[in-house]
Amino acid sequence: MSEARLRRVNKEIADCQNDKASGILIALVDDSPFHLVGTFPGPENSPYEGGNFDVDIVVPDGYPFQPIKMKFITKVYHPNVSSQSGAICLDILKDQWTPILTLKSTLMSLRSLLCSPEPNDPQDAEVAKHYLSDRADFERTARYWTEIYANGSESARPPNADDDAAALARRKKGVKEDPALVAGLKLEHVEQFVNMGFERNAVIDVLKRLNYRGANVRNVTDDRVVNELLGI
Amino acid sequence: MSDMSDENFYDDIEDTMDEDSAYGYDDEREESGFGGNTDSDEEEEAILDDYGDVDDAFGTNDIGKERLKNWQVEFKSHSVESIVQAQKKEIDHVASMFMIKDTDAAILLRHFGWNKERLIERYMDSPEKVNLEAGVHEDPSRPRLQKLANFTCEICYLSSEDSPGGKMETLALACGHRYCKDCYQHYMEQKIQEEGESRRVQCMKEKCNLVIDEKTVGMVVKPRIFERYKTLLNRTYVDDSSTMRWCPAPNCELAVECHVSVKKLDKVVPSVRCDCGHPFCFGCGNAAHAPAVCPIVKLWLKKCEDDSETANWISANTKECPKCNSTIEKNGGCNHMTCRKCKHEWCWICSGPWSEHGNSWYNCNRFDEKSGSDARDTQAKSRASLERYLHYFNRFANHEQSARLDRDLYGRTEKKMEEMQLTSELTWIEVQFLKKAVDTLTECRMTLKWTYCMAYYLAKDNMTELFEDNQRDLEKAVEDLSEQLEKPIERDSIPDLRQRVTDLTVYVQKRREIMLSDTATGFEEGRWRWNVTF
Repeated sequence: MSEARLRRVNKEIADCQNDKASGILIALVDDSPFHLVGTFPGPENSPYEGGNFDVDIVVPDGYPFQPIKMKFITKVYHPNVSSQSGAICLDILKDQWTPILTLKSTLMSLRSLLCSPEPNDPQDAEVAKHYLSDRADFERTARYWTEIYANGSESARPPNADDDAAALARRKKGVKEDPALVAGLKLEHVEQFVNMGFERNAVIDVLKRLNYRGANVRNVTDDRVVNELLGI
Repeated sequence: MSDMSDENFYDDIEDTMDEDSAYGYDDEREESGFGGNTDSDEEEEAILDDYGDVDDAFGTNDIGKERLKNWQVEFKSHSVESIVQAQKKEIDHVASMFMIKDTDAAILLRHFGWNKERLIERYMDSPEKVNLEAGVHEDPSRPRLQKLANFTCEICYLSSEDSPGGKMETLALACGHRYCKDCYQHYMEQKIQEEGESRRVQCMKEKCNLVIDEKTVGMVVKPRIFERYKTLLNRTYVDDSSTMRWCPAPNCELAVECHVSVKKLDKVVPSVRCDCGHPFCFGCGNAAHAPAVCPIVKLWLKKCEDDSETANWISANTKECPKCNSTIEKNGGCNHMTCRKCKHEWCWICSGPWSEHGNSWYNCNRFDEKSGSDARDTQAKSRASLERYLHYFNRFANHEQSARLDRDLYGRTEKKMEEMQLTSELTWIEVQFLKKAVDTLTECRMTLKWTYCMAYYLAKDNMTELFEDNQRDLEKAVEDLSEQLEKPIERDSIPDLRQRVTDLTVYVQKRREIMLSDTATGFEEGRWRWNVTF
């Protein structure tokens, strides 16, 4: 059983390395072939285009009869991916798994998930709400995330490297992330309330919570925002 | 293939109505059969309105002739063999009606949760569609197990050259997706052993939902696992049925049939006794808990278990499916839960149906500030309510403990009986009054115990006072009897004691009946008001 698992994983890794066309890379984290990092380019004509996305892959003991465990290392702004932990909501990683699926085909499914989000089956509720209320605005934020988090050559970076290292790498490249933009908010909206004398981070928190984005802005009155900021 | 004329075909369907009961009761009424899960409300009403009419609802000789009291329900135990036979009968019937293989008929029936009427209706409409949905695919031309040369399995990447003799054992279902037998074996064993799956073990090809039939599973997996598979399949038969429940006693393999619908559980306490002797509640599977109804028992037990570590673990790590109440442990990151038993899709965070999520009014992420201040108010109230709770809990627990002590008492009673036979002229039959007294005592303590659970949740009004009066009378009678039983036995006082104990036993039994019958009437009349909503 474990012999079959090793043979299969090794062959899958070799297949991926021989196939340059798909753009999918698989690298070992340490000596074990059962803990890997997969990397794929963001799909074209999507807000993720131009980014490189790293995925943490753990091959369970029962592989290929049990599903592979995958989560995003690169931060992704997507309704079916947790913006905090990178956890992925995808049926084939759960009950729809079948042994015929491979590391490569699963990574390709992840890639097509980026093209076609399922906002009615969300992993990250806030992001899904953003997606449904204003698609263009959502895409703007997703593109911003792609730029600041997925644009570097972070591929095959060990998944445990802490966020400080990633931030440091970004600073070196001269990209500075703005928490307002990361949260999908417009700078002018944030400044409007900061000018009233509120602290910037508090403004961002409240606007994020009220989904003060895109078309939804007109559903949230200024009074409501101020009341929230005052804790009323 | 089919030489059946249309006329015959319809005749057959009419037959099914008569043969509806797979267990072969002599039903006068067509609908009360065993196979029909969706029996109409009308029928349930009929049973509830008149418990006494045994012959009408269940057939003839199965249940004793005595009339049921208004707090009793009808039930019957079934062995595994009779469950297997019942399934086989249903499968054979469907197989011969549709002229299909019995393995396929089994898959169809399981897909429809053994609701034969609905299967027939849908199948008549469009057999292809039903086959596709259930995962049945008819193509007898393809051989299933084959030894092949020049074959490479897409799953383990082994090929025929690696096998002895240059030929590899392979398996394909009717869909033609062929893989090596070893991989299929691993796959099925993983599904059966680790995931507890049985009726929906499917072809390994992605998006191919063809179900692997029982015979094929038997050809591939180890005999031990096949046994497990068959047990799981049998279990789904009872699990899918709303009128059957497995006896919860350890090592008991019987199932009990009872026709009290879930909707009635806030008014009826379906106490049943399995043929193995275990008394339990058909509604919730707990130990028999009359006169309290299932929803309040559930509230009460949850409350009482709050302190235990197990309860803490369960509440921290599991939730109940909002639809079928199965306990579910979250084993992945995603909050989209799909109940393995009833397939209900819901949100782990708010327990609401998943279909409501992702819409603009999604709000299960938001902490409600208002409920925060409410919580602080309740904290003050909860101190007062804690004392009230302890009042009821102490009495509840006391009766449970006393019932345990009764069992010790029973040991002593047996000794007393022997003594009495030796020291007096009484015969064995004449000393039976003590055993009878202890049995009655235990039964009454169990009833009393649950009256405290019920009283805790009753809103205070005149009706509650009546309830408490009944409770007091029963409790007093129980304590009087208990006292008599602990008295030392002396030769001269035996006839006297016998008289007193027998009188008290009859009295205490009467008081229990009054208690149970009054609460049952109260439920029927909607007399009880609760201080909680459920």
